Amino acid sequence: MNSTQREDTSIDNYTVSSARMEFDKFIVPTVTIFILILLFFFMLFPLWMILKLSFFKGGELALANFTLSNFKQYFTTAYTLRSLWHSLYISAVTTGIVTVIIFFFAYALTRTTIAGKTFFRNIIMMPLVAPSIVQALALIYLFGRNGLITSHFFHTDWNIYGATGIIVSEVLYCLPHAFVILFTTLSAVDIRLDEAAESLGASPFKVFTRITLPSAKYGIISAAALTFNLTITDFGNPVVIGGNYSVLATEIYAQVTNLYRFDLGATISIILLVPSLGAFMLNYYISRKSFSMISGAARPFIPPTRRFKKILYSTFCYLVAFSIIMIFATVIIGSFVKTWPYDWSFTLQHYKFPSIGGYSAIWTSLWISLIVGIVGSFITLIAAYAMETRKPYFKQVVYFFSVMPAAIPGLVMGLGYILAFNKPYYWFYGTPWIIVINIVICNFTLGILSSVSNLKNIDSSIEEASISLGGDTLSTFFKIIFPLSRVAFIQNFTYFFMRSMTTISAVIFLVSASVHLAAIEIIMLDNDGWTASANAMCTCIIAIVFVMLGLLHLINKWAGGKTSKDVMATS
Amino acid sequence: MKRFCTFFVLIIVASIIPVKALMAKETVVIYTSLENEEVVEYIKQAKVELPDLDIQAIRLSTGELGARMLAEKNNPQADCVWGWAVTNMEEFVPRKMIKPYKPEGWDKIPAHFKDPNGYWVAIDLYAAAFVINDKVLEQKKLPSPKGWNDLLNPAYKDMLIMPNPASSGTGFLQVASLLEMMDKDYKTKPVEDNLAWDFLKKLDENMGQYIKSGSKPAKLTAAGEYAVGCSFAFVYSSLKKKGFPVSMVLPEEGAGFELEANALLEGARHEAAAKKFLDWAISKSAMNGYAKFKLGVTYPGIQGPKDMPALETIKLAPMDFPWQSKNRVKILEVWSNLFLH
Repeated sequence: MNSTQREDTSIDNYTVSSARMEFDKFIVPTVTIFILILLFFFMLFPLWMILKLSFFKGGELALANFTLSNFKQYFTTAYTLRSLWHSLYISAVTTGIVTVIIFFFAYALTRTTIAGKTFFRNIIMMPLVAPSIVQALALIYLFGRNGLITSHFFHTDWNIYGATGIIVSEVLYCLPHAFVILFTTLSAVDIRLDEAAESLGASPFKVFTRITLPSAKYGIISAAALTFNLTITDFGNPVVIGGNYSVLATEIYAQVTNLYRFDLGATISIILLVPSLGAFMLNYYISRKSFSMISGAARPFIPPTRRFKKILYSTFCYLVAFSIIMIFATVIIGSFVKTWPYDWSFTLQHYKFPSIGGYSAIWTSLWISLIVGIVGSFITLIAAYAMETRKPYFKQVVYFFSVMPAAIPGLVMGLGYILAFNKPYYWFYGTPWIIVINIVICNFTLGILSSVSNLKNIDSSIEEASISLGGDTLSTFFKIIFPLSRVAFIQNFTYFFMRSMTTISAVIFLVSASVHLAAIEIIMLDNDGWTASANAMCTCIIAIVFVMLGLLHLINKWAGGKTSKDVMATS
Repeated sequence: MKRFCTFFVLIIVASIIPVKALMAKETVVIYTSLENEEVVEYIKQAKVELPDLDIQAIRLSTGELGARMLAEKNNPQADCVWGWAVTNMEEFVPRKMIKPYKPEGWDKIPAHFKDPNGYWVAIDLYAAAFVINDKVLEQKKLPSPKGWNDLLNPAYKDMLIMPNPASSGTGFLQVASLLEMMDKDYKTKPVEDNLAWDFLKKLDENMGQYIKSGSKPAKLTAAGEYAVGCSFAFVYSSLKKKGFPVSMVLPEEGAGFELEANALLEGARHEAAAKKFLDWAISKSAMNGYAKFKLGVTYPGIQGPKDMPALETIKLAPMDFPWQSKNRVKILEVWSNLFLH
């Protein structure tokens, strides 16, 4: 993130016609202001509405209305307060497990010579292509009260509903996110230090604890913070597998929909924002630091690994990969068999969705996701361009607000959107557009981050050449930057598309009679006990995302230029 | 690059066109809490019988629907509600969110199934019922329960499942019926002192899970996860048809029930279309459609499904809708405090 700051001389040193200069001066601030307005209006304004509703009676901003009674009620009611402890417990345990698993997984992929690394890297990314409910659905089929493994292999009454289920599914859900961070860290840290220590006679254990771990500590903390944030804000998995075990996200939903307590829902949202913002700030702070640890002399050569170590790591990686494959296999197979786990005959009956949305929901999800993909990747690219290469005033402010959406739980944002935009004059409320905006804003962070890092790779002399030859900001952007960022653009498109197809929490309050979304249909189907059909809907989403990944891969090749080796790996 | 952009634009245009093509019809936006599997059938029928309407509907649970209407109070998105619990409907009448409308055929519906001022008119009645998995009973050598009191038998420990009354209308009517049947003074006492809470506490010891939806207890029981699912009647017959080893028991103390009603919403954007739909929704032909699923419909002379007991033979609990509606939130708060952990 903090590569050497380029001097801002690129424009001033060349003579450009004064009219063009005027125009340029106008265009960069316009873009900056546009991005700022976008984020203020669609991120901070909804949050402000939530804050208002939780602290002021009836959400009316007046000194006389100020009240802490909502918070008092939350903290003095036993069953609502429990959701806070539950959330913290689940997130802490998940964070611990994920960090350990992913550290060794990434270690195996970067520091050992085990076979099948590409395979492992692709498998670990798989959870990204499915809604964050697929883990819970599969685990119920395998370890539920009538699960294949619990009830039919072991005949035990033990089952996975509740805290255990949430933790296991969250672990499986967070793996790819944590992996991306630790993989980057471990590939970048200079491995020669380890070798030097080893040749000086340090035991492997000592090398590991004194050299390897400390050199990766920022990556580890960053991955842990991200996992904590993802777990505490997730709604899909707890709602399916939690049983009576409530967490903050499900409690927000319950207060709003069951008791019509929007004020208490807003209050719990604020309470949820505290740990998730905290984890985000930690991550933000760490990730600025961590890159200075990376030595430019890092080199990819890995010495052959000892046989025993190799077998150990291979087994471990296969175990992790196997768990992920099993999740997907269960859901996909479950959607094609008559009655899991009694009758294994093949059927397509679960694909006749018993819901109003049905296939139209998949259709709607698809075209909304295409729009989200294009709009999202385009806006983030422009924003990153304006921020990175033109260094406007308030760059830090813009940057901070651009990465902030990652800290805001989707459900909170969704609730904020209802409170903020449900007015007759916001024409987009109740249309697909509010969903498009919501998903773009909720996923703004990663789009910005990857665009920024990509723009840094474009040699600034090309841009300078364009400007010295008389190109203005607009033509430089469209003729130079945009074509050169095609790979980044397609990566961002992929990311926004996948998020849009699979997101649940952000849009559950926003679906309407005219806009049904496939991911929400899964929740509804499962809720009504149509688990097999929920699996079928999941399978459809997974299939669409995979087809899109393949298509983008082809487009990338067809359009020439360097192909991104693994589009998923960067998202 | 250009080819690549054109490609995307084409995809999007291609996907929006079919959606736009539908817009020529008169739109009506409907909110409903009817079960998904039935409502899909009713909508199919409505599309045939009301060809000039573009019916847009969303199905949400009773509570979700109420929350959504409240959130949209100042900017209503829907035109009418269809098949929504009367208990919740009664809560919304004083909030001035419902517009009186007496649909065509209003006179045919008996007086106790409609609001005298025309705020709502009920289409059906659905009753609480236990769905029992015979196979599980046999395996675990459990007796078949006849009513709520039998469920206190310790043999059923962790073998029972019922809906969470806070999120499910079915769950609410079960709890409400117990509160009204087990305490004669329920009207005068504060809700938290009701004698039925003691019963529910004992029942809690046997309860395996409180679950979000009203039909899921029956479905999970059918799948063999539980022995007895406290659910409602019509879900039983669809499970039976699918070949699950289930039977149904209506609690002998009296089966709690709920009316599901239709209403026009204040601020409807497509009022004329909504009225057309509401007229259809209490027509004889629509009622015949409901009767394929529901225990009883409000149109006189239409029999419910053949595999279910006739409505007249069922002992129903005396449901006090105005009281339930007034105390709904209080009941849910007391319940949540006692049983959510």
